[in-house]
Amino acid sequence: MLNKIRWLVSGNGQHSEYADIVVSSRVRIARNVSQFNFDVKLKPADAERLLQFLRTTIGSLIKGEYIDIRQISALERESLLECHLISPAFLRKEKPTGLYISEDGDISIMLNEEDHLRIQALAAGMNIQQIADKIFSFEDSIGAELDFSFDETYGFITSCPTNLGTGFRGSVLLHLPGLVFTNEVEKVLKGALQIGMAVRGIYGEGSEIKGSLFQISNQHTLGLREEDLLQTITKLTSMIVDIEKKARDVIFSKARHEFEDKIFRSIAILRSARIISTDEVLNLLSAVRFGVGTGILKEVNLDVVNEIMLVSRPANIQLFYNEILEEHERDVRRADFIRSRLSRKTA
Amino acid sequence: MLCDDCKKNPATIFFKEVLPEKVVELHLCGSCAHKRGLLLTKKMSPIEMLQRLLKEKSAKDEQIICGKCYLSLAEFKRIGRFGCVRCLETFKPYIKNLIKQIHHSEKHVGRHAEHGKQKGYEVYQLREQLKKALEKEAYEEAAAIRDKLKKFGVESAE
Repeated sequence: MLNKIRWLVSGNGQHSEYADIVVSSRVRIARNVSQFNFDVKLKPADAERLLQFLRTTIGSLIKGEYIDIRQISALERESLLECHLISPAFLRKEKPTGLYISEDGDISIMLNEEDHLRIQALAAGMNIQQIADKIFSFEDSIGAELDFSFDETYGFITSCPTNLGTGFRGSVLLHLPGLVFTNEVEKVLKGALQIGMAVRGIYGEGSEIKGSLFQISNQHTLGLREEDLLQTITKLTSMIVDIEKKARDVIFSKARHEFEDKIFRSIAILRSARIISTDEVLNLLSAVRFGVGTGILKEVNLDVVNEIMLVSRPANIQLFYNEILEEHERDVRRADFIRSRLSRKTA
Repeated sequence: MLCDDCKKNPATIFFKEVLPEKVVELHLCGSCAHKRGLLLTKKMSPIEMLQRLLKEKSAKDEQIICGKCYLSLAEFKRIGRFGCVRCLETFKPYIKNLIKQIHHSEKHVGRHAEHGKQKGYEVYQLREQLKKALEKEAYEEAAAIRDKLKKFGVESAE
């Protein structure tokens, strides 16, 4: 479990500035090997051959763990999804697929997703430039071994026309309780859409937004350089961080007691509950994250908040206790887990 | 006048779009206009845009076929995915506008891939063949594969 969440849980409680507002950063690039057909025309035997080839090549370039998706349990697959290491589409694949996770857990590579390679890097806080640098340096080393599908006019050729060009998707996960409170969230997010950014809920497209968490990412991949996309995301993020900070000032001048009340009630419920659902955790954690970020709640750090956010997901909590649990049992064990994490820090 | 799509409800919306190759005129009812995504107030995402644009079908789509993976343009429009590296080149004349509308751009400007890196896969294949030859103790065959590997300037062992 630890290996899969290390990208979000630093281990020393140290986090970059505004890590309560910018929860995490993610970059992925889509690449294909020109000798092989793309997903829809890739025969199972060729998919197997490609998988073995990529596995061998990547294995010689980075230290890490290789996971044959067919060899692991449904629960473990679900857990990889909850830790954001694989996509929902990857889970549904019937052809042979594999996943590489680098030794320090920051780079993960889906093999035989919609594209032959989906190279992804994740990090806590606002670190999109650093992880993009990691991805490109890895791409340079693997690009020396492989012939990537590339067209002078349309750039990297991807399975889906919406990824043509850079095949690059950069995103940040934002926690915006201030903007939710001042009712400005829609205005800000509409502004993001106007400059070519997409706004989604935490678990990808179509899902409802929970716990004041919003994800922004670039929509277009053609006609813009990777560094321009990174710059746009960085600028937009720092702009939203500023507006969120202003909204928090409004909160403190207008509703300080109400918010403090909400923060302390939330941590009290998390410390005391005997049965708790994933959604309730997400909403209570939002208030706790806000309390930690504003310095109101001093005895909890963001590592613990992030760890609870990931480990309390349904499959993760079962893997954590190494037992198959029904929904009600999960809610009980989740509450156990959270109490143990929060009491340890205050003992 | 009845809606062009459902042919049931009265048409309340007149839609006209001038495309390079033709002019599209549609008389639609509110619900069908919505289904086609014509009443969206927010900007469409590239995926939504792609889905909308792929609905433009033509009779000759079946005849335009990629020479490498045999995906037809009709099939591409149904699934919205390319079958191989060469599909894009084959379909380019027919989907140039589609790509432009999705990305608001027609030209890649980012990182580049260098061509001629097939070495990686060929070397890998030769090494696999060598392993098999050695397993079945076909030493002559193994020696020939080793010679080929030497031409790539790599050692036969990992």
